[in-house]
Amino acid sequence: MTALLDIKGLTIDIARDTGPARVVDGIDLVVNEGESLGIVGESGCGKSLTMLSLVGLLPNRIKATGGTAQFGGADLLKMSPRELRKLRGAEIGFIFQDPMTSLNPVMRIGDQIAEALIYQTGMAKPAALTRAGELLELVGIPSPRDRLMSYPHELSGGMRQRVMIAIGLAGSPRLLIADEPTTALDVTIQAQIVDLVRELKDRLNMAVVWITHDLALIAGLADRIAVLYAGTVVEDAPVSTIFEKPSHPYTRGLLGSLPTLTDQPMSRLPSIGGTPPEPGRRPPGCPFAPRCALAIAACSAAVPRLTAVPGSDPRHRVACIVTTGQSEAAA
Amino acid sequence: MSSVTTQIEDERPSSLWRDAWKRLRRNKLALTGLGVIAVLVIFAAFGPWLTPYDFLSQNLDARNLAPSLSHPFGTDDLGRDVASRVIYGARTAFLVAVLVTAIALAIGVLLGAIAGFYGGTFDKVLMWVTDMTMSVPQLLLVVVINASLKQPITLWMEARYLATMNPIWRNGAIIDFALVFGSMAIISWPPYARLVRAQVLSIRNRPYVTAARALGLTNRLILMRYVLPNAMGALIVAVSAGLGTAMVLESAFSFLGVGVNPPTPSWGNMISDGLRVWTNYPHLLVAPAAVLAVVTVAFNFLGDGLNDALNPKGQK
Ligand SMILES: Nc1ncnc2c1ncn2[C@@H]1O[C@H](COP(=O)(O)OP(=O)(O)O)[C@@H](O)[C@H]1O
Ligand SMILES: [Mg+2]
Repeated sequence: MTALLDIKGLTIDIARDTGPARVVDGIDLVVNEGESLGIVGESGCGKSLTMLSLVGLLPNRIKATGGTAQFGGADLLKMSPRELRKLRGAEIGFIFQDPMTSLNPVMRIGDQIAEALIYQTGMAKPAALTRAGELLELVGIPSPRDRLMSYPHELSGGMRQRVMIAIGLAGSPRLLIADEPTTALDVTIQAQIVDLVRELKDRLNMAVVWITHDLALIAGLADRIAVLYAGTVVEDAPVSTIFEKPSHPYTRGLLGSLPTLTDQPMSRLPSIGGTPPEPGRRPPGCPFAPRCALAIAACSAAVPRLTAVPGSDPRHRVACIVTTGQSEAAA
Repeated sequence: MSSVTTQIEDERPSSLWRDAWKRLRRNKLALTGLGVIAVLVIFAAFGPWLTPYDFLSQNLDARNLAPSLSHPFGTDDLGRDVASRVIYGARTAFLVAVLVTAIALAIGVLLGAIAGFYGGTFDKVLMWVTDMTMSVPQLLLVVVINASLKQPITLWMEARYLATMNPIWRNGAIIDFALVFGSMAIISWPPYARLVRAQVLSIRNRPYVTAARALGLTNRLILMRYVLPNAMGALIVAVSAGLGTAMVLESAFSFLGVGVNPPTPSWGNMISDGLRVWTNYPHLLVAPAAVLAVVTVAFNFLGDGLNDALNPKGQK
């Protein structure tokens, strides 16, 4: 498998009046061609900023300050705004969290999809509208040709998210980044959207990064899962390994709180006390140590690096000195 | 393709504007306002064909007549039909209001959109200029502009007349209107610029704008198709109120003699004339003043109605 996207040591800082506050602290992440990667972590851990930094969409005052992100032979973090703009939609598609507000309320659905097509492929308007109808059909919207004339407020949340997916697919991107695309939807609709994306991914042979704070939701979609905590990857493994042999105490905590998932989205973690550190107030050493039941003194000494887990899948890596036995080795 | 589009459009009566129109139609006050304005627009447009008398023709045998069947608003001190003059005044008022608002809107939308969307130095300078303009009393500004420009323009036009012998260059009304349009536009654009800037600032961070950026659309396209159209509602409300304000301003300036000057009828200069003789001939004051008051109220009703219709949840 070849890497489509290879992020190394990415750091992101927020410019505050009191100085820069670090939100993303050295993320390493690989997405292979055609692979689907799930990124899991509590809200505020830097999932969205990480993805936005790749395509130059970080908000004002927030900057990627270090690291590299190789995509198709070039470093995204070194590209000019103009190069990044050309890449957006055409190479890297996005689907955002809130379908209710992510569509232009004064523009017809068909026009919004067609706009992307006209702009990215130079299609003429009639051809673009025809193609827009096909895309709506592809994402499972009933009577797609009539829907082209609808305004967003005439569609349900689930339908709107399907429209967002159609727009995200318009430029036939090689990588589709879905940032919590089902958080705002009903549970039954969530499952439908997951199924849709899985099917489209196989059909269109694209890679998918699916961001969520809901481990259970992407169990059936992701090939691999990266667990984020406070702006660092703490565990990265094939999906079955994450569920069968979670190594990091935080991952175990996430899995321990799974049963509550069906009725409530996991925004708090009942089995893990405390809250993640605020940006700019990272503890020394392992950022999870203050909340960790297994923490020892050595945890606060140095930031643990991602290392292979002995006796597990070769792709299974974790950033914890306790569960990988490094603490004993050091002692 | 377009025929297909219109066809489907017809089958599908729910569009944002149609919804807003439906809400507006339920608002009696707004409809009344709209009706009054419509009647005045018709008078303003077709006045010369509707009025029984010429607004300029004097009849010294019929001076200062009280309202009667043949002169519904009476006649003035030169025996001119007041009703005809009020109707012609509507023409002046609408002409000034529409032109001034159009100029002010064009400047305001352009500058406000650029400032709000791109920010930076341009934004700071624009804010500074609008602060300055809006802090000087409007009347003072207009008087200053008039006083400093009237003479140069008059001289220039006289020179044009001598060069071309075209009588149009000796038409004093043109100078009046040019100065009125110009000075009123200068005091009227800053509020539009600020409104558009504020709208753009709030809209440019909405999720659908981020989504449009994620599609790689250019800034220009995003501004034109995603940001400005969503500011339309607020802008329409402001324009409705602005038209009313512009009419009142025109009357105020004409009243004070810095606007439209006689013999061109303006409600303002008619009120000013009427004020001098109102104890003897109250109709000369009441007729233009009442019409001005009714139009102002009509624009307010319409503006309120539009606000409710275009912002149904009360959000701006
Ligand atoms: N526009 C912003 N301005 C300031 N801080 C922000 C902004 N967006 C995000 N942050 C901060 O960055 C951190 C990470 O945000 P984000 O990447 O959106 O988290 P996630 O997507 O994992 O929920 C959060 O703690 C948040 O407070
Ligand atoms: Mg997020």
